[in-house]
Amino acid sequence: MSPLQACLLFSSALFSLGLIAVLVRSNAILVLLGVELMLNAANLNFIAFWRYGPAPAEGHGVVFVVFALAVAAAEAAVGLALVIALHRHQRNVRLGDARRLHG
Amino acid sequence: MTIDHSELLHAFRPEACLVAGALLVLGLDLATGRGRTAERRARNAALLGLLALAAALAATFAAAPSGPLAAGTMLLDPLARVTRAGVLGLALLALAATPGTLRLPHAAEYVALLLFATAGFTLMAGTTSLLLGFVALELASIALYLLAGFDKSRPESAEAALKYFLFGAVAAAFLLFGFSLLYGLTGALDLPGIARGLAAQPVSPLLLVAVVMVLVGFGFKAAAAPFHLWAPDVYQGAPAPAAALIASAAKLAGLAFFLRLLGSGLTAPAADGPPAPWTGAVAVLAVLSLVVGNLAALGQGNVRRLLAYSAVAHAGALLLGVLVSGRAGPGPVVYYAVTYGLATVGAFLVLAVLDGQGGAQAHADLAGLHRRSPLLAGALAACLLSLAGIPPLAGFLGKFLVFAEALKAGGPASLPGAIALLAIALSAVALYYYLIVLKEALVRAPAPGAPVIRVPAGAALSLIATVALLLALGLVPDLLLRRF
Repeated sequence: MSPLQACLLFSSALFSLGLIAVLVRSNAILVLLGVELMLNAANLNFIAFWRYGPAPAEGHGVVFVVFALAVAAAEAAVGLALVIALHRHQRNVRLGDARRLHG
Repeated sequence: MTIDHSELLHAFRPEACLVAGALLVLGLDLATGRGRTAERRARNAALLGLLALAAALAATFAAAPSGPLAAGTMLLDPLARVTRAGVLGLALLALAATPGTLRLPHAAEYVALLLFATAGFTLMAGTTSLLLGFVALELASIALYLLAGFDKSRPESAEAALKYFLFGAVAAAFLLFGFSLLYGLTGALDLPGIARGLAAQPVSPLLLVAVVMVLVGFGFKAAAAPFHLWAPDVYQGAPAPAAALIASAAKLAGLAFFLRLLGSGLTAPAADGPPAPWTGAVAVLAVLSLVVGNLAALGQGNVRRLLAYSAVAHAGALLLGVLVSGRAGPGPVVYYAVTYGLATVGAFLVLAVLDGQGGAQAHADLAGLHRRSPLLAGALAACLLSLAGIPPLAGFLGKFLVFAEALKAGGPASLPGAIALLAIALSAVALYYYLIVLKEALVRAPAPGAPVIRVPAGAALSLIATVALLLALGLVPDLLLRRF
């Protein structure tokens, strides 16, 4: 197995783990962690494709990862703020209890 | 790789206006807000925000069309110009209605977030690079999550924002993973480079995975079935002016980015080649959205949830437009999205005014609206009839253009033609549920003791402008179509 294949297998596993966490966890914080895993799996892909790709000198992949990390950080900050907003109203962060809106 | 900075500054002037305006709104409120009433601060912030949006709109019209800018990350073609003007106009309508309808502390932050979101939209309108596109999409999305949760006193708002955030973040992860695979396949981040890279290789399973990931991401963001589950909750729980922006301008900007990504990134340059790899998947999303949206809207007793499901149905029609845009150009589908956005903004603004008068959730809350406020009833009727596609309102022509292109593409037996026929049949269903709402507003007598509604001046102006635009675009479609 070439190093690129190993990287891609690892990142796919990470993405799947994150998706499973998002789907089965009920705690909002753990769901947030799952999302972070998914985002970082994609970042890993960029790095792997950049390192083993045809033109590593250009550095596109690395630049993308730097931006994606910044975006993920901003997203996590906003996500935690929204979790706190929910916590103020229902005194816990269980998504299963957040069912005021339905129809 | 050289970048002409003066050209760049010229091209990004609308975004510069918006960001400078947002910072100015925040700074001015910080410097002078102390000791003033919340109402006065809100009015000042809204005025400054309106000025920034108007300046951005003027800069959009002033910008000359150009070739690829900034090493191929931006392209100011007709699609970008019309979309930019469209999202700025929609944001202008949504913001003009805020003073007097949205009674919140921290109005300056609300206006600043709205301006940041709009900057994200205008960047999405013209981007030809995966990197700029992703960052612009997230700039807009993160601001919209906060706008959805802005009413901190209501638990519904917090819940809606958290749901919107979780779905949106997962969508962003899917999109990023798809983008990383596209980068791996072609080694390029700009759309023309990706198209060249893909043309040089056969369709690989990895490409299909990338396309599916990108479509899942966009499906979530655009609330296309089966990824629409967040939309009804968010439209119901978010403050109405924020929901207006989420439902209209975000859709238009996302459509422009999606069109460009599929049209100039993922399509083989040869026009007579095999169909693009995304055709089948987009068709499935379109059919599911049309059917699920229209049928689920039938059972809704809540006006906002009804509008959400109708938004899902309209997303299906937009996807049909995307499907035929390769042959017809972006004109019809962008016209559809602009007119849909106008009508949705109008409907949500009516709900926003009603929110200030005790709330409007169930259909029965609209009873006797024609007695309580003829202006609101008339505007609601115009917007819903436009959504249903009744001439001479603009919604009819939007539907007509998209469906006619789909039928022209290969007759009723072809895939787009068949979807168009399905969409036409479902339009009758849609008319039914819009008319149920209008029956409450226009025919029923008001509940005894229901007060007359006083419409704030900004909201009234905004509603009149919306209806006037719907009529003007419906009667003179060339106002928009000749720009393509």
